Amino acid sequence: MASNCTRFRLVGRSYVLFVLMPEPPLAVWLGELDVWARRSHGFFDRRPVLLDLSKLPLSKPELAALIADLKARNIPVVAVEGVDSQLLDFTLPPLIHGGRPGGESDADTVAGPAETQDRPCEPTSLLLDKPVRSGQSIVFTNGDVTVLGSISSGAEVIAGGSIHIYGTLRGRALAGVSGNADARIFCAKFDAELVAIDGLYATANDTTSYLCGRPVQAWRDQDSLQMREIVSSARRRV
Amino acid sequence: MNIFRLLRRRHTAQVAHDRLRILLAHERSRTANTDLVAILRSEVLAAVAKYIPVAIDQVDVNMDRSETLSTLQIDIHIPV
Amino acid sequence: MGQVLVVTSGKGGVGKTTSAAALGAALAESGQNVVIIDFDVGLRNLDLVMGAERRVVFDLINVIQGQAKLPQALIRDKRQERLYLLPASQTRDKDALTERGVARVIDDLRATFDWVICDSPAGIERGAILAMQHADIAAIVTNPEISSVRDSDRIIGLLDAKTEKAKKGQQVVKHLLVARYDESRASSGDMLQIEDIVEILSIPLLGIIPESEQVLRASNLGSPITICNPESAPGRAYFSAAKRLNGEVIPITIPRERNRLFGRLLGGRAA
Repeated sequence: MASNCTRFRLVGRSYVLFVLMPEPPLAVWLGELDVWARRSHGFFDRRPVLLDLSKLPLSKPELAALIADLKARNIPVVAVEGVDSQLLDFTLPPLIHGGRPGGESDADTVAGPAETQDRPCEPTSLLLDKPVRSGQSIVFTNGDVTVLGSISSGAEVIAGGSIHIYGTLRGRALAGVSGNADARIFCAKFDAELVAIDGLYATANDTTSYLCGRPVQAWRDQDSLQMREIVSSARRRV
Repeated sequence: MNIFRLLRRRHTAQVAHDRLRILLAHERSRTANTDLVAILRSEVLAAVAKYIPVAIDQVDVNMDRSETLSTLQIDIHIPV
Repeated sequence: MGQVLVVTSGKGGVGKTTSAAALGAALAESGQNVVIIDFDVGLRNLDLVMGAERRVVFDLINVIQGQAKLPQALIRDKRQERLYLLPASQTRDKDALTERGVARVIDDLRATFDWVICDSPAGIERGAILAMQHADIAAIVTNPEISSVRDSDRIIGLLDAKTEKAKKGQQVVKHLLVARYDESRASSGDMLQIEDIVEILSIPLLGIIPESEQVLRASNLGSPITICNPESAPGRAYFSAAKRLNGEVIPITIPRERNRLFGRLLGGRAA
């Protein structure tokens, strides 16, 4: 059926954004951010982030300066949360509110081998039967991710739930990103650049070399990230 | 010291040197950045086509460059 | 219908062009018709490695832009009559390489040749993506060195995401070709082990090409190693890789240089 109306459509879509929540003193926080970014090279590379200012009240020029500082670090701020709307004019990113922890958002795969679709009624887990290659980023915030192969150096898997890797973890694994502190990371062979659970992270420099090459699990115990070799019950009995 | 190996190595290096010299002389020359061959071919074809019908895919163009002389060979298949 | 093989690596200087020429010549020696396309617009090298630099009249860009017909741009190898070269343009901009033009050229070549080998430029930019676009098979050239392995991993990811096969939900058949393998450094423990590279990249091995001065000699002479010195260690390694591309199942070995006559006559002290 032909129609002369222009087919103007306004569609809502939800995305997962990383949230940066600066805390005073700002200079110290920026310094920590730099340390983080250096250890995990390329992590923020033009990845859009939301700036939550509820812990750090800023004046308009201060906010503009902070956004410029972040931009200089290749971190584009796409929206701001937790400030008075009066503060933001058209030169600054828009105010956003009503965000939920990421659990209810769509699954999204960036340049990944597996296409995921939003199927809310089905159990939410993602199975990757191919290795995750350098440069690929798999984002699945609806639940657990199982990787049958390895995660290469320079690749990353970001999951709302736990991450299970049956090959070698050489890249980055970020579990529980939607605020799930019970999420865990398991891998058959550990050689990671970075592991993170619900915001707590450890880079290759932080982890003991003892774990390297062994089967490892990582979990969050209150405010610390724990890692331990997985010893199978069969081996323990020997 | 294996003198034969030394001689042989020098031998292919000399070949490489000569090939490069000829190649770079041509690439640096005035004609390198123009489509001289394409222009020549189309003008020669146009001249021939004034007298005989010629199909463009019935033309073989070959080139050989040496240090002092380049040859451009245009074979035009003329229908009987 | 011929098969399209892309020789790619991500990293530069690992031996893509040498491998494309050597595999192409080896496949032609086995009686198949082969064309090798140089995709490195602006920095062409394949014509030099194959010794055809003085015979280039038209190139890939001329064909894409309609200034020459495809058969006019093909250069037939003087030593191996079943081997052809389609050179890249040295003077044009790489933007002249259009997706549609490349598709047309590859379709035409596929109809007449048994093998269409695409010699990819380094990097992961447009030229490299266009070179892999229509591939059925990929040979990923890797040196036993960490940066090369990581770049190869990245390229494998792109082969799984950006090729026509991937867009149809199929897979490019991927093979690993380890080049510049140095046995003495491997035994001293200063080089990544083949098993480690295979484990990291998790694709099957097509061949191991030993580091050899013969490769440099062949390039100086402008002749693929499989034509100029088929009995050399790298020559034999490329011949068995070509056999594997043809579906033969033969065990992977690392060929060694056979004892040279001169070396023995002079008491082998040079070695």
